[in-house]
Amino acid sequence: MDIKFSGVTKIFPPDIVALEDIYLQVDRGEFVYLVGATGSGKTTLMRCISREVIPTRGQISVGGNMLRKIGRFDLALFRRDIGVVFQDFMLLPNLTAFENVAFVLEVMGLPSKEISDRVSEVLKTVGIWRRRNLYPPQMSGGEQQRLAIARAIVNDPSLVLADEPTGNVDSCTADEIMQLFLEINAAGTTVLMATHNQTLVDTYRQRVVEIHHGRIVRDEAQGGYQLNGGC
Amino acid sequence: MAAVRYACRDGIRLVARHWGMSFLTIFTAMSVFYIIGASTLFVLNIRNIVGAMENQLSIQAYLKPGVDIESVAKKIRSIQGVKNVKIITKEMALEKLRSRIGSQADAVMLLGENPLPASIEVRVSKASGVAEIARILVAVPEVEDIVYAGSVAEKLTNVSNFVERFSIIMLIIAIAASGIVLFNTIRISIYSREEEIGVMMMVGATSTYVALPFVIQGFLLGLTGALLASLLLGGSYYSAVIRLKEMLPFLPFLESPKLIGKLGFMLVCCGTAISLIASLIAVEGFIRKASKPL
Repeated sequence: MDIKFSGVTKIFPPDIVALEDIYLQVDRGEFVYLVGATGSGKTTLMRCISREVIPTRGQISVGGNMLRKIGRFDLALFRRDIGVVFQDFMLLPNLTAFENVAFVLEVMGLPSKEISDRVSEVLKTVGIWRRRNLYPPQMSGGEQQRLAIARAIVNDPSLVLADEPTGNVDSCTADEIMQLFLEINAAGTTVLMATHNQTLVDTYRQRVVEIHHGRIVRDEAQGGYQLNGGC
Repeated sequence: MAAVRYACRDGIRLVARHWGMSFLTIFTAMSVFYIIGASTLFVLNIRNIVGAMENQLSIQAYLKPGVDIESVAKKIRSIQGVKNVKIITKEMALEKLRSRIGSQADAVMLLGENPLPASIEVRVSKASGVAEIARILVAVPEVEDIVYAGSVAEKLTNVSNFVERFSIIMLIIAIAASGIVLFNTIRISIYSREEEIGVMMMVGATSTYVALPFVIQGFLLGLTGALLASLLLGGSYYSAVIRLKEMLPFLPFLESPKLIGKLGFMLVCCGTAISLIASLIAVEGFIRKASKPL
C-alpha cells in the first residue's frame, strides 16, 4: 500500500502546528523509520494515515483512497487493510491474548474455524502462543508489545503503522520485535515505524524520515538515527 | 451471519454484565408500560361507561295537540346528532303511566279524554350534543315543550374530555420517561466499553457492527419490561374488575380477554419500538462522535 502526503498541514486548536507542509511519498513494500524528538509530529503523521486525524490543509492518499473524502463504511474497510501498533498498545484488558487478536477477525466477520487457525498461527509467529490464555495485565511489557503486533498483522494488512513498538522493552526483545517487522516487510507489507531506538535504526538500515517541529528535515535511504534537528 | 451471532451474543452479555442497570431499566420500563396500559384501560372503561350512559340519554319532546306525529318525527330524525327517535302516542303515554303507577293512572281519565300529550323520545349520538339538539327542538313549531337531563349530559361530556386529555398527557410522559431511561442505560453501557469501541473502529468494524449489540441490549430490556408489564396488567386488571363489579354492579366494565390480549400485544410492540429508537439514538450519537477525526 502506497502513501502520499501533498502539502499536509495540521494545526490543533488553538494554534498548535503539529505538521507543516508535509510532502511524503512511501511506495508499496517500503520500510520507513520515522524519527524525531518527542512532540515532533511523528504520531500525528501516523494518525493522519489511519485517519484518526484529518489535516487542516493538504491531501493524503493511502492505497489510492483520498482520506479526506472517505465515507464511514469505506473507512471501516480501509482500516481492515491497515495494522496499527499503538504506542500504548490499546489491548483490551478483559479479553485474553487469544481473544484480543481474534477480535480483529471477528470484526471482519470471518468464520470461527478460520479465526482460530489464523490467531494460533500469528501467536506462534510472535512467540506468545503459550501465553494465549492470559489477560494483558498478566503479561510482561514485551509480551504485550508482541500481542499488539500480533493483533496488527493477523489480518495480513498491506500497511503496518507501528508507533514506538520497541519502547519499554529490553534490547534483546527489541531485536526480536524488529526481526518480526522485517519479516512482515519481506512479505510485501509496507511498514512505517516511529521510533526513538537509535540502535535499531543504525543496525537495521532502512529509509529514514526525520521530522522536526512538524516539518520533514531529512529523508534518507539507508540512513542512520543521528537527528539533524536535534532533540 | 457471524456478525449477527456476535451481536446477539454480545447484546446478551451486555445485559448480564450490567445486571444492576439492566434490572433497574427493566423495572422502570415495566412500571412505565404498566402505567401506559393501566391508563389506556382506564380511558377505555370510562369511554365505555360514558357511551352506555349516552345511549340512555334522551330528550323528551312534547307535541302540541293535533299535529302530525309522523312528519314531526321525520323532521327531528333529520337533525344532525340525532341517533334515533321513538314516537310515544297519547295512548302509549297512558299505558306507560299505568305501568308505572298502576290503577291510579285511571284517575286522569276522570277528566274525560286522555289528557296526556303525544311526545317523541329523541336519542342523541353523543352526550355533548344534547344541549344543542334541545335548543333546535325548542324552535320546532310543533313542539310544545322539552324535558332532558341537561346537567348530566354536560357532566358526562366534561368527564369524558378530561379523561381523554389526562390520558394523552400521561401517555406522553410515560413514553418519554421509558425512552430516557433506556437511552441512559444504553449510554452507560456504551461508555463502559468506550475503549473497546475505539479499538473496534480502528481495526475496521463498521458502524452497524459496533451498534448492533447495544441495539439488541436495548431491545431485550424494552421487550422484557413490556412483557412483564402486560402480564402484570392482565392479572391485576381482572382482579380489580371482580372487586369493582361487586362494589359498582351497575357500571359496565370491559372484560373481554381479546381486548386485554390486544392491549398486551400493543404494549409489547410499543416497548420494543421505544427501546429500539432510544438505543439507536444513543449508539448513533456515540459512533458519530467517535468516528469524527481530530
